[in-house]
Amino acid sequence: MRRGLLLVLLLVAVAAAGPAPAAEPVAPARVVAATLDNGLRVLLLEDHRSPIVSLQLWYRVGSRNETRGATGIAHFLEHLMFRGTPSHGPGEFAKIVERNGGQDNAFTSQDVTSYYVDIAADKLELVLGLEADRMHNLRLDPKIIDSEREVVIEERRMRTEDDPGGFLGEEVGALAFRAHSYGQPIIGWMVDIKRITREEIQAFYKTYYTPNNALLVAAGDFKADTALAQVKAAFGPIPRGPAPPGVTAVEPEQNGERRVVVRKQAELPIVYLGYPVPNQQSPDAAALEVLSVVLAGGRSSRIYRDLVYERQLALEAGGDYSYFSVDPNLFWFWATPLPGQTPETLEKELLGEMDRLRKEPVSDEELKRAKNQIEAGFVFQEDSVHRRASLLARFELIGGYGLRDRYLETIRAVTAADLERVAKAWFPGERKNVGILLPKP
Amino acid sequence: MKRLHRPLACLVAVLLLLAAVPAPAAPIAHREVLPNGIVLLVAERPGVPIVAVRVFMRAGAAFEPTDHDGLANLTGALLTRGTAKRTGPELDSAIEFVGGSLEAGAGRDGLTASLSILKRDLTLGLDLLGEVMLSPTFPTQELTRKAAQIQAAIKRSEEDPGTVAGRALTRLVFPNHPYGKPVEGTIESVGKLTRDDVESFYRTHVRPDTAIVAVVGDITVDEARREILKRFGGWTPPAPPAPSVSPAPGGAPPRSETITKDLTQATILLGRQAVRQVDPDYFPLAVGSYILGGGSASRLYGRVRDEGGLAYAVFSYVSPGRYGAAFTVSAQTRTAETAKVVDILRAELGRMTRDRVQDDELKLAKDYLIGSFPLRLDTTAKVADFVIAIEEQGLGLDYADRYRASIAKVTAADVQRVAQKFFVPDTFNQVVVGAAK
Repeated sequence: MRRGLLLVLLLVAVAAAGPAPAAEPVAPARVVAATLDNGLRVLLLEDHRSPIVSLQLWYRVGSRNETRGATGIAHFLEHLMFRGTPSHGPGEFAKIVERNGGQDNAFTSQDVTSYYVDIAADKLELVLGLEADRMHNLRLDPKIIDSEREVVIEERRMRTEDDPGGFLGEEVGALAFRAHSYGQPIIGWMVDIKRITREEIQAFYKTYYTPNNALLVAAGDFKADTALAQVKAAFGPIPRGPAPPGVTAVEPEQNGERRVVVRKQAELPIVYLGYPVPNQQSPDAAALEVLSVVLAGGRSSRIYRDLVYERQLALEAGGDYSYFSVDPNLFWFWATPLPGQTPETLEKELLGEMDRLRKEPVSDEELKRAKNQIEAGFVFQEDSVHRRASLLARFELIGGYGLRDRYLETIRAVTAADLERVAKAWFPGERKNVGILLPKP
Repeated sequence: MKRLHRPLACLVAVLLLLAAVPAPAAPIAHREVLPNGIVLLVAERPGVPIVAVRVFMRAGAAFEPTDHDGLANLTGALLTRGTAKRTGPELDSAIEFVGGSLEAGAGRDGLTASLSILKRDLTLGLDLLGEVMLSPTFPTQELTRKAAQIQAAIKRSEEDPGTVAGRALTRLVFPNHPYGKPVEGTIESVGKLTRDDVESFYRTHVRPDTAIVAVVGDITVDEARREILKRFGGWTPPAPPAPSVSPAPGGAPPRSETITKDLTQATILLGRQAVRQVDPDYFPLAVGSYILGGGSASRLYGRVRDEGGLAYAVFSYVSPGRYGAAFTVSAQTRTAETAKVVDILRAELGRMTRDRVQDDELKLAKDYLIGSFPLRLDTTAKVADFVIAIEEQGLGLDYADRYRASIAKVTAADVQRVAQKFFVPDTFNQVVVGAAK
């Protein structure tokens, strides 16, 4: 799905499938939270339904923290985190995890770099040791860096050069941000991937891979007090690092429409629209979240019903809001015209949907449906320990895992008038970024 | 991302699942046969107030009449597009209003309808599921619409090198069998399908005597039986016996195909027929495939990716279906290195036939396949898919235990013996999608 592609480009993620949407909250999860002396933040959630555990290390660093000329370094480092330490040589990490029946992976987003191991619960201590080791002792061998560089380049070819959706998304992102690093691709520009030096990677690692810049979340079949003792034993000895530099760039208000048209070998055109919007810190965030479901949550949503189903203009069309973004980001819309339809038509029709939001209130049924979908999504996420841990991390990273409960309260409080107001404020005619991909003849 | 989770890999995930395994001591599900032939499987999974229900029928693409490619897929997609009581949009609104989902679609072997719903809305969800299975109306307007969507999706998929390569390889691996056809059909074949075709396919193949119903989640066996009987108990099988499909014939000489596209990478697939879980060779094959290209500790990952820097994505896997199985090796590399990577893939296949695998490689593969099993059953949806798969493949509810035991017994000599059957490089079909050099 095009939506999948878009998410890939926004997150270089997909490690585990995207969040499922959910109604009555499950009994409130008892989270054991602690901060070690070295600053490592720890969240532990007991869940005894299956004999497994999901251990996740979230570093507060992503492409957001990169500078021009060195883009892609966070993601490059993510790859190198699997290439060995003095005590665990190249390939050892994977071997130990697999030998113990575990599954591991990692992803880099604009805001974070996240590593996980899902494994039999009695192996928690083992993988805590592995994670602690690579937080502090990563070996950055020049030969390994150069061979991994080629792997990253192949990944970029697959995701961007040879993928029309990825290719266009990168163009629109670059168009939308002039001051903020969100305009840089997560995987990095090709020239930067080819150039980045060992010294730069080493410095980046030392700056950002410190206990005080990390969040450890574990959910699964363990006793929280035992697990906490194991976390302390594994990570306690790692010294606190200097506070990493903050990101000071603030995107100035956009003046006028920006547009890019690219041509690429493809079968169908693509249209992307990106509107600068506030993130969760804004009082408008909950309404934007509900709006994204009214517009694009399932087959009864407006965009699907109107453009894909009733009028048969698009193969796919949708939208997505970046609620959890650390800095203000984009509200994306996309459409793939059906053969015989033009991208111009789809752009116009998407804009028509915004127009409608500004002019007439969303019906009670649509509003209620959207809220039900969001709440039910929360319940469905509880089904997987991996997702439970990820969701805790998402909220912790924007200010505290307890925000989860407040999130649902604010969603419930959204009114049709709120939707109308935020549509007027954030989807104005003039402040948008438009990308169109046309198949090469 | 460190490693790629390929869509293709996802497609075969359920089947690979069968390659996993130790089991909980208790049977994974309660099984009973209802009076009209439905096999009911129930797995209680309390703790989260959700329920997943799957209805599987032998109505996949393998059962399509000649010249009707894409009929099963279209039929599946149309089940949720109108019933005796509700229009398609009304169905969509009803299920989404309670935050649930109701989808139907076909694969190679079967047609599956899937319901995910909060426990408190189960009655509504099952009512909708019953309607779409038992009283679909296949409105002509909906058929026209859906066919156009499928045709456009096929057209669009031509820009995805993995899809293009996979389709070509399937055709080469199963030349004289329905498995060789694309499940979604072709733009041309879908354009010719009529409402009568759909109606007739539905009447012939969507029937209780080949149906498997799995109910998993916050529900008891008694409640599940009662609720399923209420909706599906009166469903009667048609008089003619259920159609069957012959197993894929083997033995076609391997072929090679190059598809030129303006891309910076080449997608390389090597594939041939293999065996499925009912064959004792399956277990050494699964272990051998894992050693060759199953994970980050595999030979191909080490040589092609870690040492060579030649690919981001490289792996091998077995994809068993009810009527045949394939073994595939896959890699994507920059255009200039295509020949080199093909050589490495073939050389590593050959090495598996010549030399016994090392003890540590063998142990790692077996430990992983056995030890990772709980992860494959850690969500309601995964359990539902698993119990459907073992029932349909005829593997038995104790398959998990037998699998673990069978994997544990595999020796290096077994792996070599089976590699000599299934890893011989000259027996592989080859597809390359990418730019001409």
